[in-house]
Amino acid sequence: MAAETSAAAERQVRISRVAGRYLVFDIDDVVYIRRHHGICAVLTGTMPQNPTQNLFLSLPVELRAEEAKLLVDKGVGHIADEQTDHLSQLGTMDESTRRAYLQHLRQQRRNAQQVFEEEKAKVQAKHLDKRKAKPKAAAAERPAAVTDSADSLFSTPSPSTTPGPSKQEKEAPLPGVTPTTSTSLLSPSPSTSLSMPTPASYALYRYLNARGYYTTPGLRFGGDYSVYPGDPFRYHAHYLANGYGWDEPVAMLDLVTSGRLGTAVKKGFLFGAEKPKPREEGGEGEVRVFCIEWAGM
Amino acid sequence: MPLDDDDNPSLAPPPTTTTTTTNTKTPSSLPPNTTGAAQTTADDLTAEDMIEDEGAAAQDFRAFAASLSSSQQYRKTPGVSAQTIRKGEKDFEAHGTRAQADALEQSRAAMRDVLGYTRVHAAAAAAGGSKAGNIAKERKPFGWVRERVVVLEGSSVASQALGRAVTGQAKDRPARGRDWLLPEEALYLVERGSLDLWWPMKGLEEIFPPDGTAAVVKGEAEEEVDEYDLGIPLSLQAAYALLIGNDGERGKISLQKFQVYSNLKRCGYNVLRAPPAAKQTTSPLPTPPPTTLWQWFTSLLTSSPAPKPYGPLVQPGLYRSYASIYQQLALLPRHIPSPTPTTPTVTSTTDPFTVHFHIWKAAQKWTKLRHPPPDFQLAVVDAQDSSVPTFTEIMPLLAGMPADPGKAEWTGPGRMYARLKHGYRNVLLAVVDHGVINYMRFAEGRFGGEEVYGRFDAVAKAKGGKGGGGWKKGGGGTMDVGAEDAAAAAAVGAWQGEGR
Repeated sequence: MAAETSAAAERQVRISRVAGRYLVFDIDDVVYIRRHHGICAVLTGTMPQNPTQNLFLSLPVELRAEEAKLLVDKGVGHIADEQTDHLSQLGTMDESTRRAYLQHLRQQRRNAQQVFEEEKAKVQAKHLDKRKAKPKAAAAERPAAVTDSADSLFSTPSPSTTPGPSKQEKEAPLPGVTPTTSTSLLSPSPSTSLSMPTPASYALYRYLNARGYYTTPGLRFGGDYSVYPGDPFRYHAHYLANGYGWDEPVAMLDLVTSGRLGTAVKKGFLFGAEKPKPREEGGEGEVRVFCIEWAGM
Repeated sequence: MPLDDDDNPSLAPPPTTTTTTTNTKTPSSLPPNTTGAAQTTADDLTAEDMIEDEGAAAQDFRAFAASLSSSQQYRKTPGVSAQTIRKGEKDFEAHGTRAQADALEQSRAAMRDVLGYTRVHAAAAAAGGSKAGNIAKERKPFGWVRERVVVLEGSSVASQALGRAVTGQAKDRPARGRDWLLPEEALYLVERGSLDLWWPMKGLEEIFPPDGTAAVVKGEAEEEVDEYDLGIPLSLQAAYALLIGNDGERGKISLQKFQVYSNLKRCGYNVLRAPPAAKQTTSPLPTPPPTTLWQWFTSLLTSSPAPKPYGPLVQPGLYRSYASIYQQLALLPRHIPSPTPTTPTVTSTTDPFTVHFHIWKAAQKWTKLRHPPPDFQLAVVDAQDSSVPTFTEIMPLLAGMPADPGKAEWTGPGRMYARLKHGYRNVLLAVVDHGVINYMRFAEGRFGGEEVYGRFDAVAKAKGGKGGGGWKKGGGGTMDVGAEDAAAAAAVGAWQGEGR
């Protein structure tokens, strides 16, 4: 645990900017920001293990602009423009980088192959066991021909006869691999981060994040954020939140609609704004938040 | 396919069956033929349950990891039923117990395990695809030929529903007759683990010799050295970098649209890019049928009840039916949707509110080239960049939709509300907020086509036949309406209509 945190301390999260959106592809980064920076964001990709469902999704994770900005401001992440990086790398690839990339790829393919073979061996061993058990039971009569034909029909096409091992020796083709990240293709990323604009309601987001709240997009409840008291794996959302400008008038009707909706789904409606600071002071302004619940008199 | 279509109908209804919004972070793959059953199951849940079920946020990776028997990096175990993946139990807040911390830790570890999977393609089965630059001029107007950037090597199951071969090319062109994929199709296949995307290191001519007879020799087993001669495999990250772009960039698709596309594909729908809007608007509008001579005569005889600029709203006189009274009361013009769009002047849709995808329910007979008119048409809208469409934005969009007055059996007064709810034309909007998708259905109201007062006369006749009643009971017969009573009579009629 301690080693993990120390390793995490100098971790730089690569935030991929693709067409103005912020994505994270590395599973270690995803786990890291979830654990140490209270950012869970949204998994958006198709789960390759089970691609016909929408309940469990896979990488990449799409960050909101606020979340990307927070990571950059904290100094634990940097923003990289994926398209230019990839195009320049693929366009001007010299022999050594190409070789290194392909070497890495081949290693992954070998690993995959190994896993497959181990699995196959396990299955074969299982079948062998079954097969050994069977003749003993039917030893008296030895209906050899019958069992053999039945087995070849219903068992996996790798009976214990000779062709199996000899085929393996003939160097089966390695399986192809699509790595999730381009880490081995791209040069180690520069620590300089591309600039990004400050999104609206960033102040409120930072305020909530600093207090240990997790947020997800609030589309389901008609707000900016759904706010969780901890990791959404464990907890229900407590608030739906909206950020406003300090002097921005808040329509009474918005308070009523959001307040009622929030109460109906057992959440409070939270809204807040950042008090503007005199320019010379800089830093973070004071954020005031309020929570509205439908009184139901 | 690990998940059968009928695996999990209880999660959420597909966008079809709902009226306004569906929280579609959770819908399962639903075939159209089980839609009815799914609807009833979904109805069993209260609305609050549906809202409270926060979809992706409620996912418990522990269950998912457990269902994948050995969650190794390269191994996937098919045959997982979504039914086994239950929503995890959640707490209200942290109570500082070790049990709670352990559960959270397990969830995180499970997520780490499940998402750490690397896509592996069995050597023979993988469909190779190369990202290539330019292809021919656009010849088929509906094929989006200029947008297709990935060429499929060999044919696979995927090419039955995706991709498009460019026809009519000269014989000596490279990659002739091959399937070209749109960026969303290619990226979806890469994400599924069905496509191995390569970056070409040589020209298209060398990879796919124009001859067509010369098979592409990919020495996988024989010559291990030359394996990467023609190109190099790309990662998922590279696929995103190269295929996702801003709107209007050639050979790219915006992230929001791709998310909607893959969400629908995961649900089992057939999705195609809508043909360009210009094609739709240029189709000549059918002229309304001309009035016949007989219609013109009858219109002369039954003088149209144009209200006079003075005097009582309902002219004093002897009325034998409610209809003639209501016709005089109808002062405001009503919009009655017709099969031909009534506003042909506004035909150009503005960008976010344009049909982006055509969607079909899963069907056996569907092919990418021969298919019926789409079941749904859908526009993709970003939640942050746009607001509720204005009249001028939504009307051209709806005007481009085919007339869809609802099911054939929705006739008669009993199903009026079903008809009204369904509307006359409809279009789906997918609202995307950073990966969370909500589907909404906008329909053109058809209140103008429903004449409620037509039924009052039938009621009146029936009651009159029984010999019943006077004025108070709402009975029929003759009404002598004075000028000052006209409004009252109208009110009674309306009240009857409600109370029946």
